[in-house]
Amino acid sequence: MTLLEMTELERYYETPAGIVRALDGITLTIEEGERVILLGPSGSGKTTLLNCFSALDSPTNGTYLFKDKEVPRNNSEKMTSFRRENIGYVFQFFNLLQDLTVLENVQLIQELSGTKDLERAKQLLSLVGLDSEMGRFPGEISGGQQQRVAIARSIAKKPTLLLGDELTGNLDTETSRKVMEVLVEACAKEAITAVFVTHDESLVQYATRVIRIDSGKIISDEKTTFE
Amino acid sequence: MSNLLTKRLAKSLWRTKLRLFAVISMVFVGVFAGITFGGYAANLDVMYETIYDDSETGTNLADLWIDNQSAVWSENQVNEFCDSLQNSWPSTSNELDGCEGRMILKGTLFHSNDTGEYIINSVWHGIPANADIDRTWFPEGNSTVKGRSAVSANEIVMDAHITDTLSLEINDEVRIGAGDGSRNYTIVGIAYHPMHVYFVPEGSLFPPTPGQFVVGYLSDKGIERLANLSEGSSNTVMLDVAGTPGFDIPTTVEYEGEEIDDIKQVVNMSMAENLMDGRVRDRGQNDAIELMRLDLEGAKKAVTPITIMIGSIAAITIVLSLQRLVQSQAREIAILRTLGVPRKSIMSGYLLAPLGIGIIGCGLGAIAGPFGANGMLDFYQKIVGMPIIERTIPLEVYTVQIGATMLLVFLSGAYPAWKSTRIDPLEILGGKSDIKIGSNFLQSMTGWMPTSIGLSLRASFRKPMRLGLTLLAVGISLMLAGSIQMMTAGLTDSIVGGLKDNQTWDAQVYVQPGSENAVIQWANENDVDYEEIIETPLGILENSEGMKLSFTLIALNGYGPGESMRNLDIIEGEIPQENQPITQVMMDEGSLKMNGWKIGGVYSINAGGSEIDIEIKASIRGEIARTMFFVKSDLSEILGMNATSVYLYFPEGVTIDEELGSISSGIVERESLLDGIITLLEQQTQVLSTVMGLGILFTLAVMFNTMVMNIAERDFELATLRVLGASTSSLGIMLLFESLLIGFIGGIVGVAFAFGAAFGMAASFSTWQFYFPVVLVPSVAYQLMGIVLIIAIFMVPIGLFRIRRMDLVEKVKDLSQ
Repeated sequence: MTLLEMTELERYYETPAGIVRALDGITLTIEEGERVILLGPSGSGKTTLLNCFSALDSPTNGTYLFKDKEVPRNNSEKMTSFRRENIGYVFQFFNLLQDLTVLENVQLIQELSGTKDLERAKQLLSLVGLDSEMGRFPGEISGGQQQRVAIARSIAKKPTLLLGDELTGNLDTETSRKVMEVLVEACAKEAITAVFVTHDESLVQYATRVIRIDSGKIISDEKTTFE
Repeated sequence: MSNLLTKRLAKSLWRTKLRLFAVISMVFVGVFAGITFGGYAANLDVMYETIYDDSETGTNLADLWIDNQSAVWSENQVNEFCDSLQNSWPSTSNELDGCEGRMILKGTLFHSNDTGEYIINSVWHGIPANADIDRTWFPEGNSTVKGRSAVSANEIVMDAHITDTLSLEINDEVRIGAGDGSRNYTIVGIAYHPMHVYFVPEGSLFPPTPGQFVVGYLSDKGIERLANLSEGSSNTVMLDVAGTPGFDIPTTVEYEGEEIDDIKQVVNMSMAENLMDGRVRDRGQNDAIELMRLDLEGAKKAVTPITIMIGSIAAITIVLSLQRLVQSQAREIAILRTLGVPRKSIMSGYLLAPLGIGIIGCGLGAIAGPFGANGMLDFYQKIVGMPIIERTIPLEVYTVQIGATMLLVFLSGAYPAWKSTRIDPLEILGGKSDIKIGSNFLQSMTGWMPTSIGLSLRASFRKPMRLGLTLLAVGISLMLAGSIQMMTAGLTDSIVGGLKDNQTWDAQVYVQPGSENAVIQWANENDVDYEEIIETPLGILENSEGMKLSFTLIALNGYGPGESMRNLDIIEGEIPQENQPITQVMMDEGSLKMNGWKIGGVYSINAGGSEIDIEIKASIRGEIARTMFFVKSDLSEILGMNATSVYLYFPEGVTIDEELGSISSGIVERESLLDGIITLLEQQTQVLSTVMGLGILFTLAVMFNTMVMNIAERDFELATLRVLGASTSSLGIMLLFESLLIGFIGGIVGVAFAFGAAFGMAASFSTWQFYFPVVLVPSVAYQLMGIVLIIAIFMVPIGLFRIRRMDLVEKVKDLSQ
């Protein structure tokens, strides 16, 4: 079943040097349950596309339907509401709140989205292998562990679509592997569709689909054999 | 390199224009207030010197007054006293320049105009044509003052405070009395007098409503004609000592008045020799003079704390702002340090920035200061009714204010500047500075709360020093807003409340001792309730430092419920009983505190010349003047008189009439006394409102600065929450909680500061003559808390506005890089 559908999506920026076409006629559909990896060099438009997925950014032209409904644009509150109801987000630098414990970081997002559930927060942390770290502060655990907290946090409110921007970019290879395995498992268990932006080809193995972008255009779109 | 860095810093500051404007405004207001108060005090100083001066243009204010309202001294008696004084004058003291007898009488003005006939409480001075001491004042350049001194027996000079209100002009006829019928006089002059600069009847602190109190200056022959006295009669002797002898200043425990005290001893001896009985007062003991000195001293005293308070708020805001700037530029500074830029180059910009802010603020303050000082002087003129013609602000006022403010501002930049040079490039560039471990203590304290509220609390306490400085700034701002208000609210509450609610008399009719029967007869004829009371300033006590302090002796009909038309607010102790082996009395709380006297204690005093022991039975609130309350029969026996005045309570349709006016030596109506107090307090409210408004503005600026810095510092955190779908309302609740928390704690600190400052000011301004009780009026505390909490709530939309304006795409870029 189709989760989202973009048709001839364009995102232009006006700069002193002229108009930059960050996205130049993107057309794609993503089915529920897919794990998509967006690959491309720097400046190719992959982060802009991710921002359009999450309604952080508003496309200049084109249509973007999410569950057959038009995604709000140019309205901060409606866009935030869309994110709150549908989107989970994992950042490269984790962005955990340093004053809150691991468990509280997860609980905060639940609280802000009106889905407070302590048991689920604990289960998610258990799912990402952090049972024993729940009462610790982010500054007291490793980068890989912090990213796993960020994953638990992002799926705590049961998002339909999980987005990640270079989420292993700040981790070593072994930790990246562990984080991706946790993420794949969590997405499968929670039935979450995921889209990750990366320039790390090795992550392709965790995707069910790989889309390559360059100069704001899709240059390839392939299904993988990962199960 | 240093120039480039300074320019970079200036640009960064310019980006926070609103905050920059707020800080410059604070510096401006600090200097403006300093110059305003300093200029005001300096000009008042000159005015008093001019009017009191022993010169052609001055009035030659007496150094000592000897008076007895119930006595009439003959010319011979006074001459012999003056001779005896001259002969026994201590050789170590400055010589006696003058010794003059005068008659000063309380009386009434019978005034009629289109609206009716009025009997106005008055004081009449008899001033001989050749008088040298306490002359009337005809300052040049003042349009109200005109004419000349009274010379003949039917001439009078009216005090300039009331001529406009009563529409009196030169050559007008006035009818006046002093307990012996009434006489007509022709106005030959309109002038001021050094003893009536502050235009209040003796014993009162508050000027009556304009037109309710009158003073006139007759010739010696004129006053003799008024009271049917023999030639040369007087009830006051004025002494002028060459030079400026030291006086006991009642605000200090130090004994400044040794010189004048030696003279007082000689005066007392000469009085005894010449069978003269009366009180001897120096300038510090003369209420009318002392109040003016106190007012001036208050203005001088207020300059420094107000400037420091405002300067401190500005300094704290500068420290916090620059520190935030250093923090936000830490990465750039770290790169520069890595590239080898010396510490000095980095530091100089942070030192120069506050100096720039200071120069602009001080410049503006110096330009606006004279306008403020003029405004204050105009306000003073309005209250006191005296012209201040020559106005200049001494250079010293500018240099002191600007110098102190620039120093404060410079110092406020020193800490952030020093911090900027301590930045460790390795720590910043290695990302170590980003790792902060939360506080287990705060976690354990707030773990039970909703996570968003817990986060707000922890975020607020994340930087204790900054939080502390913020609370200090809020506290000082509220202290500015609330301290004077707290002091006057307590004062108003006890004085106005006492006069309004605890007293039922309509008029107080003053009589010469023994003449009260005529008033009582008038009361009986008109079915008017009356109460004879004794009220006389003839009490003297010696405090633990050996200083002789005068106070008022009062005896009412009784002190139980309904026994008197004047109910006292007994805050501790019990009502005295009559005819005890040791006379039982009550005393006002100010006297007890200042003397260290206790309820139950037995002390010696002098009452009307008699040395007696008294036992303090209770403490009374609501008396500004130092007062001792006796059982009537006790005081009557001690003083040998039944009454000095009569309280009257008028039934419907009865008012003061001419007959009552002619048999009295002054009538005060409670309504007009109350009106006068309320009018003065309303005028003061204008000043209070300005100072309070200033404090509220500063609270607003500090809270705004805190909110803006909080958002700026936590923009990553807030952006993360926004990206993760946190609604503005949920972030709003977090901001509201944080803001309310700072407001609430700041409010408590502010109320405590305001109460402390009110207490300090009251202690500083309280003298033996005027005691300011500090009563914590809850409404003022609630008002302060309310103000700061409303400001805290108002800050939330500003915070949300800035959050909404965040470019989340840019933030996500930052978050991912």
